[in-house]
This record gives sequence, C-alpha cells and structure tokens, in this order.
Amino acid sequence: MKDRLEELRTEGLQALGAASSLSSLKASEVQLLGKKGALTTLLKGVGALPPEERPLIGQLANQVKKAFAEKVASVSTALKEAQIAAELDSAGFDSTLPSAPLTLGGAHPVQVITRELEDLFLSMGFRVADGPEVELEANNFDALNIPADHPARESHDTIWVQEAAGETPGLCMRTHTSPVQIRTLREAGAPLRVIAPGRVFRQETQDATHDHTFHQMEGLVVDRGVGVPQMLHAMNAMIEGVFGKHLKTRIRPGYFPFVEPGFELDAQCPFCEAGCSVCKGSRWIELIGCGLVHPKVLKKSGVDPDIYSGFAFGVGLSRLAMLRYGIRDVRWMLGGSISFLSQFSE
Amino acid sequence: MKISLNWIGEFVDLSGYSPEELMDLLTLHTTEVEGLAWFADEIQDVIVGEVISCIGHPDADKLSVTEVSFGGEGPVNVVCGAPNVRQGLKVAFAPLGASLPGGLKIKKAKLRGVQSIGMICSEKELELGDSHAGIMELPSDAPVGARLVDYLDLLDPVLEVDNKAINHRPDLWGHYGFAREFAAILKRDLAPISLFEDWPTDPSAVNVSVTEAEVCPFYSVTSFAVPVSSNSSPLAIQRRLLAVGQRPVGLVVDLTNYVLLETGQPTHAFDAKKVAGQQLHVRCAAAGESLITLDEEIRSLTPQDLVIADSSGPVALAGVMGGSGTQVDASTQEFLLEAASFSATQIRRTSHRFGLRSESSARFEKTLDVSLPVLAQARFAHLLLEHCPEAAITGAPVPVGDSTPEEIHLTMDVARVAERLGLSLSPEEMAQTLDRLGFPVTVQDGDLQVQVPSWRSSKDIRLPVDLEEEVGRLVGYDQIQPKPLTAPLEPTSLSQEQLLSRRLATCLVGSHCSYQTQGYSFLSSEALQKWGLSLEGYVPIQNPVHEGADLLRKDPLFSLCEQAVGNEREVSAGVLFEMGKGYSARMDSTGEPQERHWLGLVSWNLNTLGANHVKGSFRSLRGIMEDLLSRAGKNVALAEKTIPPLSPLGNPSRILTWTSGPQETPVAQIFQIHPALRSDFGFVSQDVSLLLLDLGLLSQALDAPFLFQAPARFPAIKVDVSLALPKAVTFAETEAALRQAAGKFLSNLVLFDQFEGEGLPAGFKSLAFRATLRSSDKTLSEKEEKKYLKAASRIAEELGGHLRS
Repeated sequence: MKDRLEELRTEGLQALGAASSLSSLKASEVQLLGKKGALTTLLKGVGALPPEERPLIGQLANQVKKAFAEKVASVSTALKEAQIAAELDSAGFDSTLPSAPLTLGGAHPVQVITRELEDLFLSMGFRVADGPEVELEANNFDALNIPADHPARESHDTIWVQEAAGETPGLCMRTHTSPVQIRTLREAGAPLRVIAPGRVFRQETQDATHDHTFHQMEGLVVDRGVGVPQMLHAMNAMIEGVFGKHLKTRIRPGYFPFVEPGFELDAQCPFCEAGCSVCKGSRWIELIGCGLVHPKVLKKSGVDPDIYSGFAFGVGLSRLAMLRYGIRDVRWMLGGSISFLSQFSE
Repeated sequence: MKISLNWIGEFVDLSGYSPEELMDLLTLHTTEVEGLAWFADEIQDVIVGEVISCIGHPDADKLSVTEVSFGGEGPVNVVCGAPNVRQGLKVAFAPLGASLPGGLKIKKAKLRGVQSIGMICSEKELELGDSHAGIMELPSDAPVGARLVDYLDLLDPVLEVDNKAINHRPDLWGHYGFAREFAAILKRDLAPISLFEDWPTDPSAVNVSVTEAEVCPFYSVTSFAVPVSSNSSPLAIQRRLLAVGQRPVGLVVDLTNYVLLETGQPTHAFDAKKVAGQQLHVRCAAAGESLITLDEEIRSLTPQDLVIADSSGPVALAGVMGGSGTQVDASTQEFLLEAASFSATQIRRTSHRFGLRSESSARFEKTLDVSLPVLAQARFAHLLLEHCPEAAITGAPVPVGDSTPEEIHLTMDVARVAERLGLSLSPEEMAQTLDRLGFPVTVQDGDLQVQVPSWRSSKDIRLPVDLEEEVGRLVGYDQIQPKPLTAPLEPTSLSQEQLLSRRLATCLVGSHCSYQTQGYSFLSSEALQKWGLSLEGYVPIQNPVHEGADLLRKDPLFSLCEQAVGNEREVSAGVLFEMGKGYSARMDSTGEPQERHWLGLVSWNLNTLGANHVKGSFRSLRGIMEDLLSRAGKNVALAEKTIPPLSPLGNPSRILTWTSGPQETPVAQIFQIHPALRSDFGFVSQDVSLLLLDLGLLSQALDAPFLFQAPARFPAIKVDVSLALPKAVTFAETEAALRQAAGKFLSNLVLFDQFEGEGLPAGFKSLAFRATLRSSDKTLSEKEEKKYLKAASRIAEELGGHLRS
C-alpha cells in the first residue's frame, strides 16, 4: 500500500504538473482526489490493512493529499498567470478585423427633421396638429383670404378631387399645410400655439427640384401682444435647431394673402461664406414664408382681431432635409430606395 | 419682369449706389430681385468706325473691300458683304480680338484671297435689332474710336423681378412704380412723368360707346396722325425696349409698349383707316362672332368675352390682344389710341379661356389704377411729339365713363402698429415714412389719418393693417429685435396617435431592420383594372398630374410593393414601411372623404433577415406585429374568425387579424401578398408578406393593463417534447391543449421546431415545444417533469398522434 501511495504521488504530481489548462488540471485533480478518484479508491483498501499499519498509511495518505493540493494550487496559479499574460500579449490578435455586417433599419430624412422640429416646438409650448390631405376648397383657399379669382390661386397649381358645383363643395389635395391653421383655430380658439407638419400636393412636373408631393410644416401662434419680434425669435430657434448652429437671418417683404404684413425669411447660407451653388452666390437661402395673421383670417375663424394677434409660418420640410443632407434631387424623397433610406438615422 | 436701372434713373437719382446695392435694397424693402444682367455688355468691344475707302472685291461680286479707321491704330482692311457699306459711313466695328454676342471672337481672316482684320456689324449681330439686311448705320457725327455702348449709352443694369412676387402690387407692373420705390428707399426725389397737356379743343373724330360699364368703367380714344416716313422709333426708345427684352417693331407700337413698360398701363393703337364706321364700341361678343388676333389666330368668341367692335364687328379682344385687321403698320398715317380700364376678373377669364396671355392682360389682371389711362394717353402724346415732331394730335381724347379712383382713408393706431412690428416709432416718424411712398398723412390725436394714393388703392391697400408693411419695410425690418414668446407654463405633449406612431416607427427601425419610406398618394386606375382589381371605393382625381395618378390610394401598400420591387435587385431581403394616409370615397359628416392613418409594411424574404430565423416570412412578420402591439400597450386580441384582407393585395387564406373593443374592430392585419399580384408587381421573391395597422383605431383602443411580475427566485426546469400529429391539427389547438394540461407550474411554452417528412408517418407533422416549468416557492423536481411529459403524451394521443421523444 505504501509503495502504491508513493507511486501514486509521483504519477499524480506528474499528471498535475503536465496540465496545460485549468480544465485539464481540474480533470486530473478529480481523477486523483474525486469521489471515485485514484487516491480515494486506494484508501478504500486501508480497512484491510493490519491495524498497526493503518496510522502510518493514513499519515502518508494525508501527505500525498496535501502534496496534490499544493501542486494543484501552484499549477493553477501558474496557468492563470500564463493565461493573463497571453491575453495581454498583442501578438496574434488582429483588432482591425471588421464586424459581421449588421442588419439595420433606417429613418426617412423628412421624418427625422419632422421629429426634431416637433420636439423643438413642443418644448416651446406648441402642440402638433394634423389635418386632412383632401381638403375643402373653402379651407385651403377662401378661409385663408384667397377667394376665387385671386391671383395667388394661380401659383398654387391645384390637384382637384372635386370642383365645386352648386351645393357640392370643392375638394382638392391641399396645396399647403395652412388650412390646418384654420381648423385648429376654429376648434381650439385663442390663445393657441400649434405646428402642423404634413404632405402637400401641387400640379408640378417632376424634375430634380420639383415634385407634385412634398412635405411642409405650418406654424401658428395666436395670443395677446404677439408680433414680429416673437415671430423672429421662434424662427431663429427653428433654424438653429435644424442646422445645429446659429445662422444669421433676415426678413424681407413677401406676399401671402393670409398674413399681413407678410415676409420671406432668409437664413445665412450654412454652407459658405462667400457664395456657393446652394445659395446661388447670394449668401442667403430663402427658408420660411411667414407673417402676422391677417385680421380677416382671425375673424373668419371666430377670433377677435382687436384683442388677439398672431404669427403664422410655413417651411418646406423636404427642402430643409435636402439642404441639411445635401440631397440634390427631390425625387429620392418618395422613391423608396433602400440605398437612399439606409443613410439616415434618428 | 425686367427692370432697367437706366430707365429708373430718368425719375430718381441713383448715383452713389452700385446696381448690386440697388438690387439688395429692392429685395429688402420691396420685392425679391432674382438676378442682375447688364444689357449690351457683350458688345463692349465694339467701336465706332468710319469707312474711309470702299471698293469692290476683285473676286466676289457681293463683297466689298474697305478700309476702316477706328481711332488709335491705323486703318485696317475689312471685307464686308453688306449692300449698304459705302465710303464715309460711320459703322459699328468689331476690331481684331473683340467678342460678340454668342461667344464669337474676331480673328484675322482671308476672304477670297483678301485679308480682313475685323468686322463691320449689323444690328442683329449686336443683338440690337432684327435687321440683318445690312450693317448698322450710325449718324455722321458719331465719334470715331468711341465705344459703341458709350456713344449710344447702351450699357444698362437690368434687374429681374419674379412676376409672381408682385401679383398683389399693380403699381409695380411699370418702371415708374419701381422708381417710386427707389425714391422712397433712398429718400430721394421722384421726378414727375412728363405729360402732354395742351389737347386740341375738338374731340377726336370717333364715336365711342361702352355697353358693359361694369367690366369697362372707363374707355378713352384719341386720334393721331403720323408721317409714313417715321416708321422706326428712335434709338432712345429702342434701347429701353431692348434692354427689357421687348423687340422694337415700329414707332407707334413701340411707344405703346414704352408707355406700358413705364406706367404699367396698356394702351392700344388702331389704324384709323381700317376702323369701319369711325366707331369703337365696347361690348360683349355675340355668339358666332370671331376675331383674328395679332398673332394671326382665329378666335371664336362667346358672349362672355369683352370686345372692342367697329361697325363691322370685333376689332380687338378687350385688354388681351388687338385684331390683325386694324393693326398699325408701316403705311399707317392716322391711328386711334385706346386707353381704358377693364375688370381684372373679366380679363383673366378671357385670357384663360383662350390660353392667351399678353403683356396687356397680365397687367389688367392685377386690377390697375383707374386713373392710369388718362395719364398713359397724355404720356403717349408727349413721347410721340418728342420723338416725331412731324406727328400731330388730331383730336382731343373722347372719354366714356369715370376715371376717378376710389378714395380710401384709413386710421392707423400708432401704438398697436409699433407693438405688432416691434418698432418704436413716433406718429411723426410713421407719417414721414408713408409720405415718402406718396401717402398723404395727417397726425390726429396721436393716430394717423392716411389717404391711400390711387396707385395703391385699386387692390393692395384696403385696411389699416395693410399700412403696417409699408411702414415696416421702409424703416427696415432689420431694426426689429427678436423677443421670446411668453405664456403661462402649460405641459404640451403629442397626441396618443402621434406618440404611438413614433413608438412604432422607432421599434420597426431599431428592432426589425425596417426602413421608413414615403410613397405617393396616387394610383393608376388602368393598372388596377389590368390586374383585375375593382375600382370601387377609390377617390378619383379630376386633373391628375399624369395618367398613372388618377386615383387616391386607400392604403400605402400599393406604393410600398412598387418600392419593394425597385429594391429587390440590390437588396435580397428587406422591410419597408410607411406611415401615411389612405383615402376613401366614403364621406364623413363634414363632406370630406374619410382618411385613415395607416402603418403599412412590405417584407420580402423576411425569414432570411436579422437574427431570428423562422421558417416562412409570415411567421416572422407575426413576431414583428406582436412586438408592435405589445409596445403599443393596447388591448387587442387575435381574431377568432377569419376576417377578409383589409387590402385587395392580400391573399385571403394566408392572413391573421387583430381586433379591439367589444365590436371586434379589425385594427391590424398581416397577410401574404396575393400570388397573382405578386407576379403582376414583378416580385422576384416568392415570399412577400404585408402588414397593415390602423394607427387611429389602435390609439383609440383601451390601454392594456401592465402589472410588474417579480423575477423568479427558484430555478426553472426546461422540458422539450416533440409531438407527431396529423397535419390538420393546428399549432394553436396543440399549444392551447398543452398549456391547459401542463398545470400551474408552466411559465412559458414555445414552439422551437416544426417539420414534416422523414421519420414521420405519412400525413403527419412534428411540432416540438419547450416548456419552462417554475414554482414561486420551491425548486421543482423530476416528479413535475414526469407529470408534464405524461400530460404531453396524453395530449398527443387525444389529438390523434403520439409523443416522439
């Protein structure tokens, strides 16, 4: 038995010492010391020994066990250190390997801008309204101070769903988001702060800069004591929000029948300082049509223009997206190409 | 519209400002200037020359060999083909190296063996006229060596103004209106227009009558005589017309154009000899009458058209275009000048009906100042006598109607205007500003009493608020300081539907590899019919943008499928979705077509996309839908009964519907595309599944209650069973039976495999489920596992099959 133990000690220490990994070390340890391990099995024979030999063998067995445990501890430490050293060694690790291609989705650029503007205006106490895209002629034109025969109707080349006849009201694809002004004002009354993003339609032949379907956003503020200074402040905030930096702005006379006075708002070209192809050398880009709400519009929507005033604005969301991302052809917008859509994220 | 700054300079001193500065000033204070171009800048190299000798070309009959002197250098040899070239003539000469319009550069040339160094130019070559018959002849006192553009004072900065931007400003449809603006902007004097005043006592020999005073409030005719020799107008007139793009044609017509471009008031000249019965009658056309207009088109008239008629019939389409029969030409010796006011609506309708827009109709459409005709005829008479002293005014104007403009007086609340504009101006400052624009103003009790001048009262300025712009734009909008809005702090948020739309879009883009797109709202009825789809319920468009866009879509799936097909070549598997409107022919209570806000989605080969590979895109799409509905947090349930597809594109037997509310309203659906339409669309993929979800209805559904469940503390055991079942047995009934049989410890049950074929009896399929068993108060033992296996075995047998493992 003693010889067997000595033999086992030698074999065991050798096996443990030969372990090349923590798992093979563990396996060897189990083989030696486990419930069915070699040492355990061997020691089962102790009962058969003469009583006087037993203490000696017991002592020896403990020594072997202890030697094994020490060996396990030392090999284990060595292996762990070796593993850490190996992981710290840069050799054999190529950090330049690419990831597997990710399958991702993408947002629509107009949607991205719309969301940003919605959040911006929400933070300034506006709500976001929606209106029908097939609109009553009365809301699209008349209530906005654009009666029949008004020359402004000519610049709104209208797609008609149903021309007015007798009792039947005229219906058109809305040519602008401005009728949402009327709807919201009638429904909610003053004071009011609202924006209305959405799609609008015009009789346009499609080319790189024109489409018959595009996106606009309307805004309306009606309250006491609201004038041009408040309008300018809100517009500046919007432009800074879209382009991520402060841009100089200016207003100049512009004509929209539902505002008086009416303005075109230009922003300093975000892409150049000395004139470029985007601003056509002028250093300004026309961005927003705006103005103080015409008293006739307020009156028609049931708001007293002697008490309340307000401003309204309209901005082309498709145009903003094209400007911000440098998209030169509007036809990408409703084309649905994944190679286009995959470039935008929220 | 083109605005010549030289012309403006006749009325306002523009000195000290560059054309670019003037362009910016006009943009900031009046209307946008779209461009600046110099008239005659392409002929700046052309020099006044003199033909000092001229002999025939030895080898060509039609050519002459000349010597031309043109200042500094000695005379040069020039070969010229014009019939009117002769010794002593002063000519427009393009020397060696000069550039001409169209990019032509003068080089040395040999013409039939004779050296030619330079070119003697015709008007046409210089773009100063149409005449190509010969070279341009300059007066004998023209200074040799001077630049032609200097000698003739041709260089002219011309501003381009967008016509649409001045639709509301009838006063800006002539140069004088812009001169008035510049005078006000620059704070300089505005010179009056020189007018003829000394009319003869006898009226013109013409009988003038107006039947339709409603649409022609004023009509005036004046008779003139001109010598035949004076047909072409002088250069002073021509260069103005040319600079703004108007082709000179002859003295009388050029002057009517000149007056139109200067004052904004159209006039028309009739050859007096061609007017029958010495009468001009303003009336509606009779049915059946027709007129050949100046463009030689025969116009069939209706009683809605206003015409000018002589005793034989219509001679002009009032305010739109004259007739060719009474046209003034080179032989005209006497003519009648019409100056009139016509109703804007009348002119617009006639002009639209004939598709005939002229400089005249464009102006009348704007509602012109009713006092302008009187001014225009006096201006015409002045110019005619100035430029053709031999001409005569043979009779005083014969007016019919009233040319007195409506007087509009407005009261301006100074404090309110100052507040609205954000400009602190005193009443006096505001008054001065308006005065610069020609508005007579008095200050009364701190407010302004303003009279609107005739050129602004016809349409543009009717209300006190209309004056705000006048004050603001002249003072300068750059003086206004932005101020933040102020209001009580109230929470604002998106509506339920808006929030839901956002959440679902984020989920699709972020978790389901989907691309958000936008598609057109229009469909082609021809395509629908060709594919055998009914047109019922679609809203038709009366004037479609193109043939393929004559209906409104009911949902976004059609354009989504088209876009998917467009992507298939590049992208073998994908998901596109749109959140957009669908339109129905059913009217709602306000008489408008109903609109539904849809989430539409198309997927192709979805099962090969992303990490969760499941057999069949339909099942993958169900997973997406379940995720969407769970994120929506709404109370919806899978429909028990089969509901037909919400879109005609759906395959009615490959469909799942979710409903909400006691009425079990369908709110969402997934289906495979109809196999016939799949090939009609041109899909390559055989595996195309679609999703429709009504965002409006879903947002109205009740919120699903949310209850937190504490994570389990005791370990779970997972048991896999595989059931061999007859094919007709559905997953749903198997799953339900298993769930029921599994008992209270079942916390989750998922299908992890499904197959048919090898190892199974014919007509059988295999469904493999993984059950998660868990207790909240103890660790489960093999006993529970065995119990579950026994129950599964029983279920399998009850369903006509057996447990496989």
